[in-house]
Amino acid sequence: MMMESTILEHLDSAFQGNAIQKEALNMLKEIGLPHKKSEAYKFTPITSILEKNVSFEEKGKNAIDKNKLYKEEGSHLVLINGILSKEDSKISDKLILKIGEITEGKHDPFSLLNTAYANEEIVIESGYEEPVFIYHFNFNGLSNPRIKVNVKDGHTFRIVEKLITPEDTNTFTNSYIEFTVGKNAFGYHTKVQNYNLATFSHETVVANVSRDSHFYNNTFSFEGALVRNNLTINLDDENCEGHMYGLFLLDKKSHVDNNTSVDHKMPNSYSNELYKGILDEKSTGVFNGKIYVRQDAQKTNAFQSNNNILLSEDATLHTKPQLEIWADDVKCSHGCTSGQLDEDAIFYLRARGINEKNAKAMILNAFALETMEHVKIESVREEIQELINKKLI
Amino acid sequence: MISIKNLQASIEDKEILKGIDLEVKAGEVHAIMGPNGSGKSTLASVLAGREDYEVTGGSVTFENEDLLELSPEERAQKGIFLAFQYPVEIPGVSTTNFLKTAINQVREARGEKALDAVNFLKLMKEKMKLVDIDQSLLSRSLNEGFSGGEKKRNEIFQMAMLEPKLSILDETDSGLDIDALKIVADGVNTLKTNNTATIVVTHYQRLLDYIVPDYVHVLYKGRIVKSGDKSLALEFEEKGYDWIKEEVAAV
Ligand SMILES: Nc1ncnc2c1ncn2[C@@H]1O[C@H](COP(=O)(O)OP(=O)(O)OP(=O)(O)O)[C@@H](O)[C@H]1O
Ligand SMILES: [Mg+2]
Repeated sequence: MMMESTILEHLDSAFQGNAIQKEALNMLKEIGLPHKKSEAYKFTPITSILEKNVSFEEKGKNAIDKNKLYKEEGSHLVLINGILSKEDSKISDKLILKIGEITEGKHDPFSLLNTAYANEEIVIESGYEEPVFIYHFNFNGLSNPRIKVNVKDGHTFRIVEKLITPEDTNTFTNSYIEFTVGKNAFGYHTKVQNYNLATFSHETVVANVSRDSHFYNNTFSFEGALVRNNLTINLDDENCEGHMYGLFLLDKKSHVDNNTSVDHKMPNSYSNELYKGILDEKSTGVFNGKIYVRQDAQKTNAFQSNNNILLSEDATLHTKPQLEIWADDVKCSHGCTSGQLDEDAIFYLRARGINEKNAKAMILNAFALETMEHVKIESVREEIQELINKKLI
Repeated sequence: MISIKNLQASIEDKEILKGIDLEVKAGEVHAIMGPNGSGKSTLASVLAGREDYEVTGGSVTFENEDLLELSPEERAQKGIFLAFQYPVEIPGVSTTNFLKTAINQVREARGEKALDAVNFLKLMKEKMKLVDIDQSLLSRSLNEGFSGGEKKRNEIFQMAMLEPKLSILDETDSGLDIDALKIVADGVNTLKTNNTATIVVTHYQRLLDYIVPDYVHVLYKGRIVKSGDKSLALEFEEKGYDWIKEEVAAV
């Protein structure tokens, strides 16, 4: 393909990686970036969009806006263009943090791109229960932040991630975060995606969950020129749980594509997925939820739902559940709905004296709220609630 | 208080109200009866400001103001309350929660200070007692999974909270058992003053034993075809609507 080769050719000259990275690059060249016919990117032709909109230039380090940092106990890691900036970070001495060579990752095109071009790999380990906040300040045309998180046996670990990008230059962030959740442990991961129409991102989240452990992902998307979330939860052992909650509340020409998959590999595991979309103006929302239940994964319970409200005739929604079940003793359900705001409900509230705007906001807010259930950190909840209110009222 | 003159309304080009005349003064209770589909709920909705209905003629004046010019929320703020025949379920929004917003928007529109949490709670407690409604019901999603009777009771609770001037109760009695009916009627009677008025839409004389109307009107095919005092309601109870239909046909 003409398009993808220009991106890769352009990057090729900048390649400086180790053996693993070299191998990733070779693999990537072999499989190529997604193209027009790639099923997984059917509604998000990412390669051609990047080709048209982003120049992969280095911009270097700009001043960062410290107001974006949460005022919470815990560690605050500031990454600039994918590189940890120790001077801007606040790192608790209880946090185990290593920065080093790139190690293996997933083998899909953008994970390989990240592996090949990441500047460093940040490894954080749970040593205590304080949350870790990760802020990506990306100014470069291309940034490849790469993080690995180890939640050790018996631990609870909360990670919150945010990306902050300039409004006046187009940037592409290709991030990769991988969780290894030990036995009898809880991993919580929250992402707040409130970008702008100059921000393009491909964000990969992988979680490998061991026996008796739970992993939660909450992704809140508000604005972005193109945001693609690839979330993969591997329930590798017995008695695991995977929870996926998402809200995409979009307007303008925002485009958010949530591609999620949960893989039940062993017996007695549970997964629950709830994604909600509110689409206004010319925005586009995509939801694709895959559930795999392998032959050994008897007594799996897997639930999925995606509910959407379209507020404008120019908004576009694509939703697609995808179930592949090889085991026979399985409880699985999925459903998706999409519709307009309930006019009867709006009239009911207005007939009680609430003005139209507030009535709509109240109904939409209630609709959205369910996705916040597992966000336990107060200032993160507040921020999300504020972003929701700002969009709705 | 409200003066309805030759009101005509249609929905999807279907004419439903064909010229309604009705005058309700402060302190009065009017009952509107009539067979299914005659336009009772349509009249109630048009008065509350439902935009699906197109008013094609006539006028409505509420306290010397053109009511038809106002949005539903403005009407509510000025003191019109509609107890819905079919209260809407709204997932995720609790009665307590939305009423707090409603009351404060109404107060704001009237130039009153917003109620703080403490005073709001006090008011809630007082009005809850009036209609014998449970706190737990009020913190649940609005009307979701409520029984028919609970929904109706919740409507009257909201009315009690908002203290309207003109209450329009659309078949609030349907679905209520006799005890609930008494409680609801007691509530309505307690809230009644010389400055408020009530329009009660009902199919049953039973309710009118408790909420005694000054006038009874019969709505049929979009027109008020007969008006009288409360004895009119008794007549329907005995004879049904057929004689009215015959009378109308004969004219
Ligand atoms: N949205 C609508 N579209 C088409 N027709 C409608 C609509 N709403 C009401 N109607 C019609 O208007 C007429 C009057 O209905 P309305 O609900 O006002 O009757 P009602 O007197 O309240 O009846 P009931 O005693 O059964 O409650 C009916 O024939 C009904 O079918
Ligand atoms: Mg009716």
